[in-house]
Amino acid sequence: MIEIDGLTFQYDGAASPALKDISLSIEDGGFVGVIGHAGAGKTTLAGAISGIIPHSYKGDFYGSVKIDGMDTVDNRLTDISRLVGTVFQDTDSQIISSVVEDELLYGMENFGVPRGEIEERLSFALDEVGIPQLRNRTIASLSGGQRQKVAIASLIALRPKILVLDEPTGELDPGSSRQVFSLLRRLNSEYGMTIIVIEQKIMLLCEFAEKLVVMNRGEIAFSGDVRDVLLHIDELREIGVNCPRVALLSKLLSEKTGRQLPAAVNIDEAERMIKEMIA
Amino acid sequence: MTEIFQYTPGNSPLHRMNPVTKILLTICVCVAAFVTDSLIVLAALFVFDLLIGLTGGVFRKTLAVLKGLVKVSVFLFALQALLVRRGNVLFRIVTDEGLMLASKVVLRLIVVCLPLTLILAVTKISDLANAMVQVLHLPYPYAFTLTTAIRFVPQFMEEMTGIMEAQTARGVEFDTRNSIKKIGMILPLCAPLLISSIRRTTATAVAAEVRGFELRNHGSGYKKYGFGPIDLIAVLISAALIAGAVLLRNIP
Repeated sequence: MIEIDGLTFQYDGAASPALKDISLSIEDGGFVGVIGHAGAGKTTLAGAISGIIPHSYKGDFYGSVKIDGMDTVDNRLTDISRLVGTVFQDTDSQIISSVVEDELLYGMENFGVPRGEIEERLSFALDEVGIPQLRNRTIASLSGGQRQKVAIASLIALRPKILVLDEPTGELDPGSSRQVFSLLRRLNSEYGMTIIVIEQKIMLLCEFAEKLVVMNRGEIAFSGDVRDVLLHIDELREIGVNCPRVALLSKLLSEKTGRQLPAAVNIDEAERMIKEMIA
Repeated sequence: MTEIFQYTPGNSPLHRMNPVTKILLTICVCVAAFVTDSLIVLAALFVFDLLIGLTGGVFRKTLAVLKGLVKVSVFLFALQALLVRRGNVLFRIVTDEGLMLASKVVLRLIVVCLPLTLILAVTKISDLANAMVQVLHLPYPYAFTLTTAIRFVPQFMEEMTGIMEAQTARGVEFDTRNSIKKIGMILPLCAPLLISSIRRTTATAVAAEVRGFELRNHGSGYKKYGFGPIDLIAVLISAALIAGAVLLRNIP
């Protein structure tokens, strides 16, 4: 379980805090999407959960972040990393090796995954991300999207309890983006992995995440079940988050009919809603 | 240019050789080149380098490296030939001894540089680092520094090309034929390149740390690097190279 209590963080040399008095708790096995405009503090929040803040990026840190009761400030980054796997936004700098296979081996070797398990985990991760054919390719020969998949696979192979992903689909086409989110859902439901994903594509979040955290200027503007958050369409638009059109549709229907309808998160739900109305 | 530092996949005897043996072989070629004072031995070592390229199936890359080295060599040759004052004058200030010395310096440079580049063509950098940590018990942070440095070379070149293309698109004449003018235009790019490389290395360091960098030691590797008959042959060749160079150091 992740417990963030009164977290304020200001980077060294910054004029104002990147995070202001954030309190949030994420249950084990949750699937949480984080969204917000550029500079809202999403990446800083992800960094605080994975422990690289305050361990690698210095600044003023107030409040506390606890992962399974382990305080991120008092514990070594290496120990936090055993629980929390992180896929960074900048894939190019995240990749350490020059060949795909070695990149996946790197973390497993370091964390002492038993030899007998390594091969199975390696092919599992490559298969799940859909890149078994890239196993022996050099990183330099891969496209941006392929590198992003390698970065994700290298974390999946570690099977962390919590997986934090910072815009994992930034360089992917719509098809591959959905594929990544389907994979995240599988990891979440089959292996009970807690997923925290920063993502700009709201439609994907609405479809796959259970909870949504909306960030605005270093604060949490809204947080809760996806449907509940989507009811605040106007406020969300004001802070630069566009809701999916199906959510807008259900809001308009609520207004027109005077009935309190739940926000639709995908086309199927919207269709069902309209059919019920007509009937 | 960037591919010179990159690994060429293959299954040649050189690919299968233990990385540590390859390092030994490389060092022995270098030592032999510096021990000897004979042009014939240096020429023989040069042929040996070419044979390494052939055996490793990377002959084309060998020639590419050679082509790059020739440019430096011409400059070095001229410098040596013009500055050495001993021996009989052949033409104005050029002496026979000067020419001899210049040839040796140039040949030695080529003989030493070739295997150092070729070892990267037939060995994955990670294998090189892992083997040094596992077999030679080199502390991992040193191996990491080495691999990261080599891995970043093509990336920085890519980035440099990117910046130059972006500026060319906005009217900066990087495609000018005037080299001095070109250098003048490239220099201001060094600062942004340096800043972005520092940012990038910091990010890589963090990425390594969250994947257990601190826990890695000589027992961590999944792949084991054993020694086989090929390695024995390579060790014998290495010994022969040194012995030959020492014994024949005084022939012309």
